[in-house]
Amino acid sequence: MNLTQVLAANPKMKYIMFGGKGGLGKTTFSAATAYHLAKQGHKVLVFSVDPQASLSDIFRQDIFGKGAVEIMPNLFAQEIDADRRVQEYQQQIKQQILDRYGFDRIPDEIESYIAAASSEPAMEESAIFDAVVDIVFTGAYDYYIYDLVPLGHALYYLSMSSIYDQWINKITELRAEMQRYDRVAARMKSEQTTDEDEILNELQEIRKRINLSSSVFTDKEKTGFFFVVTPEEMTILDTRKAGELFSKFGVPISGYVVNRVLPESLLNEEIPAYLRHRIQAQGEPLRKIREVFVGRVVGSVSEFERDITGLEMIGRVAEQLFCD
Amino acid sequence: MSKEDKKQKKGWHIGRSIREFVYGMAAHDTARFALKTRGSMEHLFILITMGDMLGIPILPPYYSLRLLPFVVPQISTWKRRMLREKDFTDTLA
Repeated sequence: MNLTQVLAANPKMKYIMFGGKGGLGKTTFSAATAYHLAKQGHKVLVFSVDPQASLSDIFRQDIFGKGAVEIMPNLFAQEIDADRRVQEYQQQIKQQILDRYGFDRIPDEIESYIAAASSEPAMEESAIFDAVVDIVFTGAYDYYIYDLVPLGHALYYLSMSSIYDQWINKITELRAEMQRYDRVAARMKSEQTTDEDEILNELQEIRKRINLSSSVFTDKEKTGFFFVVTPEEMTILDTRKAGELFSKFGVPISGYVVNRVLPESLLNEEIPAYLRHRIQAQGEPLRKIREVFVGRVVGSVSEFERDITGLEMIGRVAEQLFCD
Repeated sequence: MSKEDKKQKKGWHIGRSIREFVYGMAAHDTARFALKTRGSMEHLFILITMGDMLGIPILPPYYSLRLLPFVVPQISTWKRRMLREKDFTDTLA
């Protein structure tokens, strides 16, 4: 099967993700896939969940923190400005406190807690994770293409969501029990039962968002998760390990795409010995890729003579990625 | 105020007094206990969500901030209670 066939065989597929080690071409493939689908008349959003995003570079257009920007007809790209999102979020929390209690300033200890919490390393990741919910579930696109973070981070997202979920379940139980005690006290005093628990509502909202965000990763019908691999021993080993880990988290892996393949046709031409050796040396890893990921390699893209930036180069990658 | 109204109001007073009397006899302790338990749970809840205020990080902070506005008034009593000088084995007794 190739990538075109995978998409044709899964008409409900709506979320497409490329995962893999850093620097193998996840952003390139994300952009090329978006380009291809947009050319076919689908409305596509490609967005980055990476704080060090590179969509701006590949499209040669500054889109950082600007929302969904139209790159060409039907093709939209978005880079989330996690920093700003955290700032706005803090502001929103503070405003809520001021309004709620009629304070004219935030109490010192609360202020410093907010500042400390916001500088936690997990804060940015969580903010992006949360932003994805808004992007994916409010937009009206036919396809959403995730330009994923390198492997470790992606796994962190997934494990985070299951931990959050368990945690919130426990907490929700505690809140529910607290509510029962409230009711008992109220009944004994023949008072009206107290208002519904706002915190409980908030917790349920948080859980809903986390579940939505992580459910996308594990939806077998709607999600296509592809690993990018290059013909190098190390990458193959790492990718295989990552594949096993992702499977453990219930992520359905739809296929593997090989990148940076030096064209063998060059061997028939006059080329320097250096290049000849490089081409011959990739034969073994390529064989290994076919052997390890047997029947699951859905595409192969060559090494290009220059960097992939700008729509023209992206188009050339798309052509190879979606050849028949 | 009409006579009818006065009568009604008096009845209401008596009703309330009886209710309060019964409440004091039978239910006050139960209610107090329920509220006390509720209070302890409230503090436990804040510990779990805002633990990093005392240096105990538990919840990823992004979502604990979301809950912060709801517990602001309880924070200071909670801190006082948690940091009260007390042998930790007391809690085992």
